[in-house]
Amino acid sequence: MTTTPAGPMLRVDRVSFSYGPGRFELHDVSLEVARGELVGLLGPNGSGKSTLIKLVMRLLEGGSGRIVVDGRDALRQRRREYARQVAYLPQESRAAFAFTAMEAVLMGRSPHMGALGFETEDDRARARSALDCVDAGRFADTMLDELSGGERQRVMLARALVQESPLLVLDEPASFLDIRHQYELYELLRRLAHEQGKACLCVGHDVNVAAALCDRLVLLKEGRVEVAGGPREVVTAESIRRVYGIEAEVWTGSAGQPVVQPVVRPAGAMASPGSASSSDGERPI
Amino acid sequence: MTLTARRYVVVVLVAAAAWLVVAAAALTIGPVNIFGVGGAVQRQMLDGRIGEVVTASLVGAALAVSGAAFQALLRNPLADPYILGVSGGASLGVILGTLVLPPAWLYLRLPLGGTVSLPGVCGFLMALAVIAVVYLIAQRRGRLDPYRLILTGVVASAFFSAAIMLAVALAGDRLRNELIFWLMGGLGSPRDQRGELAVAAVVVMAGLAVFVWQARGFNLLAFGEDVAASLGLDVQRHRRTAFVVASLLAGISVSLAGPIGFVGLIVPHLVRMAFGSDHRLLVPLSVFGGAVFLTVAHRLVLLVPYEVGGGLPVGIVTAMCGVPFFVLLLVCGRGIRGGVL
Repeated sequence: MTTTPAGPMLRVDRVSFSYGPGRFELHDVSLEVARGELVGLLGPNGSGKSTLIKLVMRLLEGGSGRIVVDGRDALRQRRREYARQVAYLPQESRAAFAFTAMEAVLMGRSPHMGALGFETEDDRARARSALDCVDAGRFADTMLDELSGGERQRVMLARALVQESPLLVLDEPASFLDIRHQYELYELLRRLAHEQGKACLCVGHDVNVAAALCDRLVLLKEGRVEVAGGPREVVTAESIRRVYGIEAEVWTGSAGQPVVQPVVRPAGAMASPGSASSSDGERPI
Repeated sequence: MTLTARRYVVVVLVAAAAWLVVAAAALTIGPVNIFGVGGAVQRQMLDGRIGEVVTASLVGAALAVSGAAFQALLRNPLADPYILGVSGGASLGVILGTLVLPPAWLYLRLPLGGTVSLPGVCGFLMALAVIAVVYLIAQRRGRLDPYRLILTGVVASAFFSAAIMLAVALAGDRLRNELIFWLMGGLGSPRDQRGELAVAAVVVMAGLAVFVWQARGFNLLAFGEDVAASLGLDVQRHRRTAFVVASLLAGISVSLAGPIGFVGLIVPHLVRMAFGSDHRLLVPLSVFGGAVFLTVAHRLVLLVPYEVGGGLPVGIVTAMCGVPFFVLLLVCGRGIRGGVL
């Protein structure tokens, strides 16, 4: 267990996971996220993206393979110690009770405090600068449930930032956001990676947003890594057909990013090539 | 406003002082003017009132903090200490103890002085048994899930209320009246309770210490177990501990004073409205708030002249004050937000 600053921040090494016999959720998945890199994890529903994220966050137990953060085995660390290494932003955060944005952000300091400690002026300053960083400084004293979805998600990102962990893991953080806020969130993540050297692993559901702003993409299908690499290598008509089972055109956008446009056919002709179930019904037995 | 060590110390000290003032004032309030009598009578009366005030304070504190903990544990602002059936079990234990034990055995004289009510002990033992059973049913491979806990608790409560009705129906006429009165939440009969109060005080203090320790964990849990775990909380250990301690507090207060309603629901909400949702303040303030609330309610009941219904159970007052207040909370919508409603 030696720290190797040159190695990847996160290394997922041949991880398999199953919820029960014969129900493989993940199969031999390996991926790496380096410092200063924003990696997008994509794939259809049920491809195992969230399961992988939950394993990385140690929210699920079991499975095989190794998850290594900054050269140290994830499972060998105490939870609080691990929380100083990895911060997490879920799809949506709803609090059961009314907290202000500032209170919520300060909770991100928990891993750095003793059980009975109180936040210091230093913690508050860090929280304020994290709120400013996500352009949410003006919400500090606003109740979370008075914020819009996009504003709240930014505050929650500030909470993850104030953890000051070198690795940031996000599970579809933009799924409830409109297109502008989706791009803004990804741009912010990209800045955090490129300017502050954070390693970011982000599950996305919009291929175009991820392709435009991530440094690398990993495409999962049925619990296996189907393709991985730079956006232009990964996002091709061929890989979209293989992974999502739809025909799509892929163009090159003005910034050089790939743009996916599913081919719309007349009704009735949408049978997806990859899906076995739809053709089964028509085949005489 | 965010919490600083300074603000914490000031607010908690003020709350403690407020409770002391209320408790001292409560000693002078009663059906008989304590300054109008003298000597041994006054001494005896003062002893009785101290017992009542301490009981009310302990029970109020235990219920309020247990309610705050259940609301945080179950992420449900409508939770109260009785939600998981522990109080139903404790009530049944007290009732069965009262019905089965010979009258001469109802109070056990302790070697160090004072007495312990044996039906109360039965209630507490029953509460322990219910905690174990509810835990065993609700857990899955050692993991406690709030929804399974609530479902299990609702079923357990339903079972115990049926069992209580059966026990009350089968009791003799004289005893039945007594039991029904007790079920309304009567804060116990005046007698030398020093023994059981001392035991209860130790349990309640220990419970409070645990919740003070767990308070920040409750804050994190408000954002769901995944976020809490990602911030370094051992969610399952935290939940197990909170469940056991909150249930113990509910069990001991029912054994001591009968099922007094609404204290555990309303006091945490009042505190949240006034001081925000940070559990580091909510826990200690619920303790003092609950103590003050129940002490005052109990004194109000004692002031009712006997001819117009004196000696009413205090549970009636807490519920009568509690229901309209709760409706107000719902209608104004400030107190309950971001939860199930």
